[in-house]
Amino acid sequence: MLKTQCLLKKYDDLIAVDNLNLEIKEGEVFGFLGPNGAGKTSAIKMMVGLLKPTSGQVLFNGKETGSAEKGIIGVCPQELVLWESLTCKENLTFMGNMYGIPRSILKEKVNTLLEALGLSDKANKEVSTLSGGMKRRLNVALSLVHDPVILFLDEPSAGLDPQSRLLLWDFIRSLRDKEGKTIVLTTHIMEEADALSDRIAIIDHGKLLLLDTPEGLKKTIGRGDIVEIQLADAMVNKRVTTLIKSLEGIEEVKELRGRVTVRALNATSKLPQMMDLIESAEGRVLDISIRGNTLEDVFIYLTGRDLRE
Amino acid sequence: MKFINITSKGIKETFRDRRGFTYLMTFPILFVVLFAFAFGNGFTPFFTRGSNPHEIAVVNHDKGETVFLDNVTQQRNFGDSFSRLLGNATYENSSTNLFHLNNVSEDKANEMLKSRSIDALIIIPENFSGAFASMINSSVRTEITSTVGAQVMENTIAGQNPTPNTLATNNPLSEVGNVTAALIIKGDTAYMDFGTTQAAITELLEHYKNNLIGEATAGASARVGVLKNPIPGDFIFAEILSISGTQSFSLFDYMVPGLIVLGILLQVSIIACSLTREVQTGTLDRLKLSKMRSFDLLLGTFISWLLITIIQVLVLIIVAIALGYKWLGGISSLWLAIVIGIIAGMASISLALLIAAFVTNERQAGSLSAMIAAPMAFLAGAFIPLPKEAIGQFNGRTYQIYDILPWTHAVSALRSVLTYGSGLDGDVIFEVRFLIILVSILFVVGVVAFSRVRLRAER
Repeated sequence: MLKTQCLLKKYDDLIAVDNLNLEIKEGEVFGFLGPNGAGKTSAIKMMVGLLKPTSGQVLFNGKETGSAEKGIIGVCPQELVLWESLTCKENLTFMGNMYGIPRSILKEKVNTLLEALGLSDKANKEVSTLSGGMKRRLNVALSLVHDPVILFLDEPSAGLDPQSRLLLWDFIRSLRDKEGKTIVLTTHIMEEADALSDRIAIIDHGKLLLLDTPEGLKKTIGRGDIVEIQLADAMVNKRVTTLIKSLEGIEEVKELRGRVTVRALNATSKLPQMMDLIESAEGRVLDISIRGNTLEDVFIYLTGRDLRE
Repeated sequence: MKFINITSKGIKETFRDRRGFTYLMTFPILFVVLFAFAFGNGFTPFFTRGSNPHEIAVVNHDKGETVFLDNVTQQRNFGDSFSRLLGNATYENSSTNLFHLNNVSEDKANEMLKSRSIDALIIIPENFSGAFASMINSSVRTEITSTVGAQVMENTIAGQNPTPNTLATNNPLSEVGNVTAALIIKGDTAYMDFGTTQAAITELLEHYKNNLIGEATAGASARVGVLKNPIPGDFIFAEILSISGTQSFSLFDYMVPGLIVLGILLQVSIIACSLTREVQTGTLDRLKLSKMRSFDLLLGTFISWLLITIIQVLVLIIVAIALGYKWLGGISSLWLAIVIGIIAGMASISLALLIAAFVTNERQAGSLSAMIAAPMAFLAGAFIPLPKEAIGQFNGRTYQIYDILPWTHAVSALRSVLTYGSGLDGDVIFEVRFLIILVSILFVVGVVAFSRVRLRAER
């Protein structure tokens, strides 16, 4: 449905998007994962036609997006892009009018969106009086008022409380499952990408690092558990990291966010040996936890740094 | 008809932005109120307003003089007569006195002058009548000698005795003295009311002199048997000569057209900020992704701001009238002023488009607009007329450097219409045509710049 071919964006010496080649399929939720400044927003802006690529092209059903019919794309930007002094209903109706939607259809569509995003009781309130979560939901509604074929959601749940986030996730799933929409979702929240995406592209420094299903991505770094150890004295972390690396059956050991992070198959059975090594290094354990692999671990494995760094 | 939706959105946003709307309306109104206070006739409501007399004091040192006037030798004190004339002079077609004479000593008058309790102090010198006598005798002598000369010529041509009957008169001509006198009009030359007062007094003095000369030479012509240029009546009357209808205008009345243009120029900041907000918040990107065309956005924005311009001009005029603003030409002048205001408003919108094309945030838009609009108002002559700086001549007209600004022509046209009651002809039609040409150029530049920079995909 949407294809990018050698998409490149340069700002002077900075390469924001570096020869990006992607193919987004119809009816899927395509996760676009990367830390802040990875080039996600620039890539999306080029895909929707708001930013001119330095080179390369974006094709929608084989046509360049610039020549594609307006109205097939919906964009929910990362920032709240709303007319603050208009009411929720006025915002949606105005946008609908800009897409030339007939009045009778528009009225129904506006009411449906307000209902679906839990904003019916705020329909006639000025946007400036809404809470952050409500504004975020209205931001999503504005991108859907013209019933687009493909929807770009750029960090849609940033700043949302957990309840609003779950409501939004359900809504995104229903767009795919009930309305068959194609959704491109950029996020730096792992759980969000994991929970919603059919396929995920991991991007950093403008480059595509990996593209696969969430499960496929997790497999790329092998099976196993993650052990996170917090020591009383962080100065000992380096020595402990070196010692644990020497243990048999350990896949990877890294110091991350002041903790020693160990990836290993059957990590629980290796815990006594790890504790002995920590003791020999004169370290004292403050906290220890064991969990399964996540997308974040995949990202750390690929880039050597945290998504939030 | 997407532009109608954009117009409607623009109007809603402007009215709901209470702080911005208050600024838009009250800032120019504040100027009108301040100017009415500073340069008007005070805050007397317009329906009770009359023309106010200028406060003056007259100190008469004139000792009087004997003159031959009306075929009678008489003792006259022209200082007293002139003082009475000042006290009795009235505004044209009005019973209101032009001056109110304060009967005070010279020292007291000087104090009052410093405290601006009076606008001017008139000091009549002791040889005032002497100088008048010299002036009258000189005028009479000139009149008679020219008449006698003419009679000699006529008699000679007719073959008669050339001696004119003038020589038969028993009244000898008075000697012409060499006395001159200066009437002192004292006051603060930087004070606006002194300017108008001294102009009126100077005008009255000229009339007084002319009437006395007329009276004396008419009598002399009768003596030599020939009536040349007879001047009716022997009384002295005064008339203030100025542009018809504006005799009772205050400085404020002259300034209101400029204040209307100032209000229109202040819109630049609000419009530029509003357009920049659309860019900065990303709503313009939303619109760019929709089926809206650049034409819809620009036309919709234009219409909404033109409607707001109409409201602003109307409010300004209403406030000015409530504060005693006087204009000529009745309601038709007001309508024409609104039309000129709308065209000037288009210039402001175009300038705002140009500014919004190049600034990156609202703060920059506000600062840059203020930096441009305030000097524009000054250069357009909204406050005071500027010195002439000709850049060339075309079609019999001299063009000044500030003629390249549309608002200059708006001020001129509004002044002609409101202050002098001109219709859409003569100079007004020229100014309006010039205004339209400059607005069109600025509009094209603004639209092209905004469209190219803001309505295309970012680079």
